[in-house]
Amino acid sequence: MKLGHGQLGRRILLSVSSALLALSFAPTASAQDAGGEEKKDVSASEDAAKKEEDKWFAVINADVYPGTGGHFRDGTILAKNGKIEQIGVEVDLPEGTTVLDAGGLRVYPGLVAYASSGLFGASSSDFADTVNTFSPNLVMALGNGITTAGQSGAALKLKRGEIEGVLMKEKATTLLNFSAQNPQGRRSLLEKFDASARYLRDYRAWEEQKKSDKDAKEPSKKDSDATIVQVLRGDVRARFQADDREELLGVARLAQKYGFRPVIEGCREGWTVAEELGRAGAYAVVTPRDRTDKSEELVAAGGTSIENAAILRRHGVQVAIVPSSKGVDLGGIAGRDILALTVEAGFGVRGGLTNEAALEAITVVPARLLGVEHRVGTIEVGKDCDLLVCDGDLMHYETFVQQAVVDGKVVYEKNKELFYAHIRPNIDSVLAPETRVDKGQEGAAKPAEGEAKDKEEKKDEKGPDQGDKKDDKKD
Amino acid sequence: MRALCVAMLALASCRAAPGAREGDGGRPESASRTLELVIRPLADGETGLVVRCGKLITCDAEDTIFAPGVLVVRNGRIEAAGERCDAVPKGFEVLEFPDATVAPGLVDLHTHIHSGSFADVNDMVLPVNPEFRTSPAIVPGNRMIRRGLAGGVTTLFGIPGSGTSMSGFGVLYKSKLDTTYDEAVIADPGGLKVAEDSNPQREAGDFGVGRGALAWIIQDVNDRAKASIRAGSDDPGLANLRKIHTKELPVLIHTAGSEGIVNTARMWRVSNDTRSTLSHGCFDAWKTSPAVIAIGMTVNNGPRTIEWFSSREGRVIGISAEYLKNGARNLSMNTDSPVVPQEELALQSAMSSRYGADGLTMLRALTIHPAIAFGIDDRVGSLEPGKDADLIVWNGWPLDPRSRVELAVIDGSVEYDRARDGQIF
Amino acid sequence: MKLRNLLSSCVALALSSLATAGDLVAIKAGHVETVSHGCIQHAVILVEDGKIVTVGKDLPIERGIPIIEAPDLWIVPGFVDPYSRVGLDARGGSEFNPQIRAEAELFPRNEEFEETLETGVTTLGLYPPGSGGMPGQACAIRPVGATAQEMLIKSGSYLLFVFRSDARSKKMLKDAFEKADEYVEKEKKAREKWDKDQSKKKDDKKDEKKEEKKEEKKEGTAADFQDEVAQDKKDEKAEKTDAAKGYVPPEADEKIKPFLDLRANKLRMLVTLFGAADWLHFSQALGKEKIGYDLRIALTRDIDVYEVAKQIGEKKLRVVMEPEITTMAGTLRQRNLPAEFVAAGAKLVLLPRGDSPTALKNWPRNVGEIIAAGLDRDVALRAMTLEPAEMLGIAERVGSVDKDKDANLLFFNGDPFEPSSKLIAVMFEGRIVHGEVQQ
Repeated sequence: MKLGHGQLGRRILLSVSSALLALSFAPTASAQDAGGEEKKDVSASEDAAKKEEDKWFAVINADVYPGTGGHFRDGTILAKNGKIEQIGVEVDLPEGTTVLDAGGLRVYPGLVAYASSGLFGASSSDFADTVNTFSPNLVMALGNGITTAGQSGAALKLKRGEIEGVLMKEKATTLLNFSAQNPQGRRSLLEKFDASARYLRDYRAWEEQKKSDKDAKEPSKKDSDATIVQVLRGDVRARFQADDREELLGVARLAQKYGFRPVIEGCREGWTVAEELGRAGAYAVVTPRDRTDKSEELVAAGGTSIENAAILRRHGVQVAIVPSSKGVDLGGIAGRDILALTVEAGFGVRGGLTNEAALEAITVVPARLLGVEHRVGTIEVGKDCDLLVCDGDLMHYETFVQQAVVDGKVVYEKNKELFYAHIRPNIDSVLAPETRVDKGQEGAAKPAEGEAKDKEEKKDEKGPDQGDKKDDKKD
Repeated sequence: MRALCVAMLALASCRAAPGAREGDGGRPESASRTLELVIRPLADGETGLVVRCGKLITCDAEDTIFAPGVLVVRNGRIEAAGERCDAVPKGFEVLEFPDATVAPGLVDLHTHIHSGSFADVNDMVLPVNPEFRTSPAIVPGNRMIRRGLAGGVTTLFGIPGSGTSMSGFGVLYKSKLDTTYDEAVIADPGGLKVAEDSNPQREAGDFGVGRGALAWIIQDVNDRAKASIRAGSDDPGLANLRKIHTKELPVLIHTAGSEGIVNTARMWRVSNDTRSTLSHGCFDAWKTSPAVIAIGMTVNNGPRTIEWFSSREGRVIGISAEYLKNGARNLSMNTDSPVVPQEELALQSAMSSRYGADGLTMLRALTIHPAIAFGIDDRVGSLEPGKDADLIVWNGWPLDPRSRVELAVIDGSVEYDRARDGQIF
Repeated sequence: MKLRNLLSSCVALALSSLATAGDLVAIKAGHVETVSHGCIQHAVILVEDGKIVTVGKDLPIERGIPIIEAPDLWIVPGFVDPYSRVGLDARGGSEFNPQIRAEAELFPRNEEFEETLETGVTTLGLYPPGSGGMPGQACAIRPVGATAQEMLIKSGSYLLFVFRSDARSKKMLKDAFEKADEYVEKEKKAREKWDKDQSKKKDDKKDEKKEEKKEEKKEGTAADFQDEVAQDKKDEKAEKTDAAKGYVPPEADEKIKPFLDLRANKLRMLVTLFGAADWLHFSQALGKEKIGYDLRIALTRDIDVYEVAKQIGEKKLRVVMEPEITTMAGTLRQRNLPAEFVAAGAKLVLLPRGDSPTALKNWPRNVGEIIAAGLDRDVALRAMTLEPAEMLGIAERVGSVDKDKDANLLFFNGDPFEPSSKLIAVMFEGRIVHGEVQQ
């Protein structure tokens, strides 16, 4: 999508150069053409040529919710070659920038699904060589805000129609079994940890020793486990599937003993041992709606709690939220599959998380667990330009993603795709209620809108007024 | 001027809610019924409750919303609803929820959790069971009901499963917790459950394997019931079924698919004049819904709220949105619990709303609509004087998954108090 | 047996006695679609020794030359089915066997070939069987001949690669070219060495080396006779050139040779794709390697290759597929993929929907459905004749009505794409082998 295709109100920042302004009303002109035309006027210096190679992309007129606390209106996010270059209110856009006019809509970082299945076709391993980024599931996931997804311990970017750069991290996490149900496995894992820790200690010592003694003997890897060495080094996160209180405490003790931060999936009774898990530096991946009744024989607290996520977070456990189904479920029961990340996180809010914390649980926290938080999860300079343009509070169940941007490229537009285009197609009618109330009054004062073809221009006129009004009210 | 004032107040409460957007946002809130309530003191032996809240959603015929709102309850019944009341006579318990929203308790017409599990819902011996009743299996206040209450559900129609064509008579009850059968039950039998299409079409080779024979089986027993009315017979096996045909009791019909719902509507509205509600209506049923609505059939949608496969255009269809678009006037939602957990009834409407249905209508689909469908709107479904005081205090818009139930009141008594009982859901 | 059949059927055509080769025959036709240079009304085609001698409008015909009068008929070139298993039945695996040649399976005494000819398919490309990997090289054949050699037009028409988006497929391709690189390196060293030796020893050991090499070759040669024939021919050539220079390059592995051929543009690759993602993965695996290749799209009901039609079209690639209307995934929206690819700039080959006589018979009708749905008619005809001939590397012999090409002509009583039209007669290399024409 090129310059001026933002099909919402086509308002344009005044700070944008006049050439750009002119182009914004010629939707068919591509940014490259623009560069070409410009060149005639500007002396074709080497710098200009260099600039042309860079791909600039900007979202303008946005209510930006960067995920780092707070938000600001009329914001611009500028990206260069897929990375965020600048965020601000007054940002000069380089010539040839592909502009997406968010027209007062909200912009959030792309969501991160900690675990998913079936988004990349039948692909479930060897992702670099197998992903199908044309899969309808992937498009639907983008339509529901997911731009990064974990699968089988790997971190993947939803780069629609591309295969380069999809695999962000091949081995972000590794699943370890430390279940009390399997005492033999538990013992063998402990032995591996012991041996690996010993090896790592010896190895570090050897590295020191080597400096003075060139002939120092490299320690033996005997009995150590390559994966666990990676875990202890912090290169790969160890994840455990544990729900039961005792199991959770077991993982916490293991982690404390060997000095690593475990990722605990399930963690249903985590709220009963939140303090211990917090002390162990654990991360939890929870489904707020999980339901298990506590055992009748148990005197202590047990079973699931809707407050699990909130309690864990209060005790310093970083919480990621996943729905109960990792795949896309179109069987008809809505709100329980991977597409319902925000719904599930919403139940986290119901249990006491703040809206912001719930959003973190489906953005930056899972990004961290997948080892890609330096690239995704928030809108920050230097990170990947993965954005969602939304027609309201992202956490609200009625909100739809209007556009999804991945690596500075619009890869999904609600109105151009099959799935949701028919639902509330008129974006003005779906904006947040305060806007809608304003609109009612404004609409009454204004003459009725003319023909459909004039409509867009009208919006241009109307838009900034509306923005001003909102600001007034805020004051 | 006053209208504006109310709108701004509503705005304030909107902002207090976790979501900036609410399902009713944009609707001008009624200012015509701004009431200063005057409360008569309690007489001897009377109990009284006053609930003050940021917003009171009544779900009455005019969709009145009071913001702020006050609800006065006397002896378990609603005495008045309005905007403010300053003087509360002695003896009334006063509950203050200045930031919260009060809405009617939710009603689910299609549930199977009365026994506390999925057991005891089917009697799979005969294809028609007009004598069968679920009431012996009911376990009032069981865990599933309790969680449902914490999700805002106060009235349930507990019914047999769809394993047989005429599955039996269900019981209408309230989700009271520390209660007895008599206290919990509104009506036993509360209505008939019939299953047409899919599930009762057994593959075992017995009669009724196809839709035609299935219809014959059901019509045959209907004809016998009608004949027994004409003959003045008192055949006990048909006693309850006669009440269906005399319209004393309603009937809920499990049916789905585009052909299924049309057959169902014809049988229960044209061939037999009954107070019938079509339940499920999922899959591609939305395609034939205009025909069904034209016959006057009431629809109770769920547990499936969306449909993708039957759309020729790759659209994700919001089933409720289609029913509403096609003119359904009394649409209600169900969970088919435990298919969808009972406590997620509100989510059924939220999802309908996400996929295109109007927000406030979808709240009515959980309150007054099902009450009307089953003829219990004189008691439940809205917060109006004279009705049972079944109300839920939410900390936000009821359909928003982020909103939690702070308090659940049934018949004027607090059945669930989050602060007191801990948050169950 | 086969030939006898043919002959007897020709005898049965009591009216036409122009069956003997060497005869000169003229065809006067109302409507000739040359494919290469448009449509000629009132055309005359002169055929001699099974080859077309002239084609033109209202040409004078010498007295005494027998004339086939077809004033109301439409003549089109014989159809070329470049992706066929007619007459073959073996099932293949999914291994890396680029050295296998489809003609090894060829079984001339097979009635299916005769049936094929009767449907108007006068040239076949036979592919090696395989559900994955590289099952081998296809050949181009005439569906007529008493021996495999007689039938064979061209060995090594294309190397088939049934590509799937997996690590194995990609590795297979990369490894093959890496091995080819290794060989090139090895050859280079051998050459340097030879040059060095040469400067030292001059040419006294030349004969010895030649003999060594010959022996080596014999060991590596496949048992199959066609292979031997083909190999011998090549060897002869190679020896002639290399021997003259005196340098004999080291022998390449049989499995590597096809990749040297690909790079040298002596062989094409036909890549089977099952979806849009396969295209991305194949392109990635191929990298900067420059080879000639065509894409066969294995159609499924809602295949998503339209997602990459633009990319493929921009590269002016040739796409090979069956004439089917597909749908857009998740919808009933119809897609005319052949037309979409052509619009995007790709070249098109249309295949019959199967190898059965019925499928072959219905081929023009099926293509007609795609034309009705928007595919350009001339492109469609070319997609059954000249384009597949080019794909098989035999366009100098078949695929159009042109001078010096085989006189493979189909006589229809109307537009071949109209369901009401009938194939009246088939001329194969100057002989009417099926049906009847007025003389």
